[in-house]
Amino acid sequence: MNKMTPEELEKFIHQQLRGLPSRRAPRTLESRVLAAIEQRALIPWYHQSWSHWPAAVRSLFLVLATTVTSAVIGGFYVGFTGASTSSIVVAAGQKLGLLAKAYHVALWIVDLCTQMVGRIPSLWLYGGLTAIALCYATFFGLGAAAYRTLYRNN
Amino acid sequence: MRNYQDMVYSTAVRLIGNETQAEDIAQEVFIKAHAHFDNLGTSPTAGGWLKTVATNLSINHIQRYKKRWSFFSDLVHRDDEGGEREVEFAAPDTFFSGVDTAERREWVERALQQLPEHQRVPLILYHFEDLPYDEIAKKLRISLSKVKTDILRGREALAKILVRSGSTHEAFEN
Repeated sequence: MNKMTPEELEKFIHQQLRGLPSRRAPRTLESRVLAAIEQRALIPWYHQSWSHWPAAVRSLFLVLATTVTSAVIGGFYVGFTGASTSSIVVAAGQKLGLLAKAYHVALWIVDLCTQMVGRIPSLWLYGGLTAIALCYATFFGLGAAAYRTLYRNN
Repeated sequence: MRNYQDMVYSTAVRLIGNETQAEDIAQEVFIKAHAHFDNLGTSPTAGGWLKTVATNLSINHIQRYKKRWSFFSDLVHRDDEGGEREVEFAAPDTFFSGVDTAERREWVERALQQLPEHQRVPLILYHFEDLPYDEIAKKLRISLSKVKTDILRGREALAKILVRSGSTHEAFEN
């Protein structure tokens, strides 16, 4: 057996790899590409991304979007300056009442959980948490070992 | 398309190491080319553009799956670290003696596919795409030293697989 230096090995591998001809593409590739292009051509422009929209439609859309945005901002400005702030806040409060209730329920649940956890002896609490962590680490390790032995080697 | 389909497919299949997925990538490359046909149709650089797109899409594809398995993959190949060393196997001039060109290419192609992905991909980018180490590191989002180590180990592993193929071949012939 002879010994090859890294430089000789690089030269040798380079020659071998560069000597490889292109691999023949499957015969189905051309028909698949043509079918995909035809299928995409059948999709109407309004179902495609913005870049595929016709230039005139894109310009019109920009004008419309600018007009609508300006109208909304203007409407808000007029509404806030014309109407009293308190009436708007009351109206918003009525609409958002459900959210406020949900917030109070969540606070109650958190409070209940805190009380319950406080009653559990600390030995049981930390012991349970350690057991869960150990189970998690064990199953994660088993998963990694299974991947290394079963998946990577195939 | 016919002029370039083998080149695009080869690039994808050698990087990904899976024929079905490589065909999907090749299809995506030609659909992109169709979208840029106005610029590419008569361009002398169309081949280079297609190869670059095929390479980038293949790397994206590999990395999409790699993210999912990165933790597990990182557990492996800790032994890859280390300096350069000499490799023991037959001298280049006698390595493929008695083997015809077609068979030799078949061996090399098969050996390449047997390499682990973290060695095969940088090796291909270096030897087929002529990318420098730093460019490969940037593309694969890994350190420069890891690229160099992976390429070196990839060459060694490739040589070892070829040696094994050679001994199996001889045994089979006898």
